[in-house]
Amino acid sequence: MHWINWIIVAVYLVVVIGDGLRRTRGTKNIEGYFLASRSLPWWAVGLSVMATQLSAVTLIGTTGQGATDGLRFVQFYFGLPIAMVILGVTLVPFLHGAKVYTAYEYLERRFDPKTRSLTSLLFLLSRGMSCGTIIAAPAVVLSAIFGWDLVWCVVLIGAPTVLYTVLGGVEAVTWADVKQMAIITFALAAIIVVLIARLPVPLDDALALAGSTGRLKVFDFSFSTTETYTFWSGIIGGTFLMLSYFGTDQSQVQRYLSARSVDEARTSLLMSAYWKIPLQALILLTGVLVFLFYTFTPAPLLYNPRHDAQLREKDPAAYAELSARYTAALAARDQAAREASATAGGARSNGAAAGRSVFAEQNARVDAVRKEALDAAAKATGEGSRDVNYIIPRLVLDHLPLGFAGLFLAAVLAAAMSSIAAELNSLATASTVDFYKRWVKADATDAEYLRAGRIATLLWGIFACGVAVKAATLGSLIEVVNRFGSFFYGSILGVFLLAMMPRATALGAFVGLLAGMGTVAAVSFGAPQVSFLWHNVIGAVTVVVVGLGLSVMAPARSVAG
Amino acid sequence: SPFRRTLVRVLLMQVVALALLWLLQQRYT
Repeated sequence: MHWINWIIVAVYLVVVIGDGLRRTRGTKNIEGYFLASRSLPWWAVGLSVMATQLSAVTLIGTTGQGATDGLRFVQFYFGLPIAMVILGVTLVPFLHGAKVYTAYEYLERRFDPKTRSLTSLLFLLSRGMSCGTIIAAPAVVLSAIFGWDLVWCVVLIGAPTVLYTVLGGVEAVTWADVKQMAIITFALAAIIVVLIARLPVPLDDALALAGSTGRLKVFDFSFSTTETYTFWSGIIGGTFLMLSYFGTDQSQVQRYLSARSVDEARTSLLMSAYWKIPLQALILLTGVLVFLFYTFTPAPLLYNPRHDAQLREKDPAAYAELSARYTAALAARDQAAREASATAGGARSNGAAAGRSVFAEQNARVDAVRKEALDAAAKATGEGSRDVNYIIPRLVLDHLPLGFAGLFLAAVLAAAMSSIAAELNSLATASTVDFYKRWVKADATDAEYLRAGRIATLLWGIFACGVAVKAATLGSLIEVVNRFGSFFYGSILGVFLLAMMPRATALGAFVGLLAGMGTVAAVSFGAPQVSFLWHNVIGAVTVVVVGLGLSVMAPARSVAG
Repeated sequence: SPFRRTLVRVLLMQVVALALLWLLQQRYT
């Protein structure tokens, strides 16, 4: 990397860490450290909510998905605004008004200690593991692209994050999130401007070409439980998933518990609801522009340089043969694109219909050769390719002007660090408040809890980095972590839904929670073809039905309100 | 109330966003 790029990355790290250190002064007590003494404005909390959800996987994986698959994935977020509106009028006033540190603390007040401890423990297990996987994904990409040692990449992402989170607590995390969100948005906008400027044909023609390959098809109204991204899975399954994530996952709940008031807390969620779909559409559209860029510029056979080198080394004859066919297919596609665009009236006109279908045909040929290459690489390296994660990093490094590599690396670090910091901060809160304070030492001084919170943040940081190194060398671990999390995500939402129903009892909630997790596990193993988005719906509904049924059959002697 | 006004603006924005995505799909697919 050029020294100018290094300066950009260094400036980013100094600004974020320096700001975190300055905010250490606000953390004199546990309320300041974990909740910023409930003093943060809605817009900072709203940006923090968005930055926490947007990890490096979104920045590099979703843009890559846009390039290979188009805009369909945006349907996944259709339920988010609905969930935010529901939470704003139901759970948020409950939780913020209860003056709790964690969402699970509220469950003890409403039900009993065992429901609180079990839900908090499930959060710690799943979030602690998944925090490792969101460090691993960008670390693997940086390691392959720059040729750096993997452990060094994990440390580059993890160490600065742990440093400012341990020292500055939730206030440092939130204000760092605000800056990180600005860097991510600026980097995306800059890349979009350059990509559009570099198109050799007008944007209208280029989009017509992308449309002919189906990449601009947003809406899929089919009723299919096995197709992951449809309008209905987004509206129904997506709503339940986002209700679970923003309503019951401490890594998000803690964002808005630190807001000044109930009104500011729910306004922060609505801010995220306002911008989420446009932002995700923009990220996916960036991917479509990358596809168009590589239509007019020769694309690499494999974007992952490490896999490319391994395939070339293991089977040079097959690699040369694939490369020759790929180069020919690319040239034919490039020519078809230029001919369709040169049609009188442009590529979108009726006269260009034949030209568009020739382009789509040539594009299918390019895809077929690339699929062969991906299969050969998977065989040669013995691991799944995840080639999609390397598309935009390669584009930035190979083709964009000087300084863009530094800006993009800073944006990837910002996306990763903003998510990791919020998760470490919330893991430390749940382990300190729900376990240390509840079961180990209930009468410690504020200073002791503050020290426990700092030590817990550091330990979770080390744990997450350890998981990241392990996950990077064992790609299947990421799948396991995601699957593990989806087992009880919906069920915990069910418990919170029960908490808002006056008739529900502690026994009903606990048994319902176990029944919900059991049902999701049964569906997951018994009917693996059902898309994971539906697991949350199944879990939540089971908990409510079982919990409410049991509560009605065996009502509590005194109704806790 | 300010919260309700924000709520209405959020829902309007989603309608606009979905309409734009629909128009994009219709124009180029």
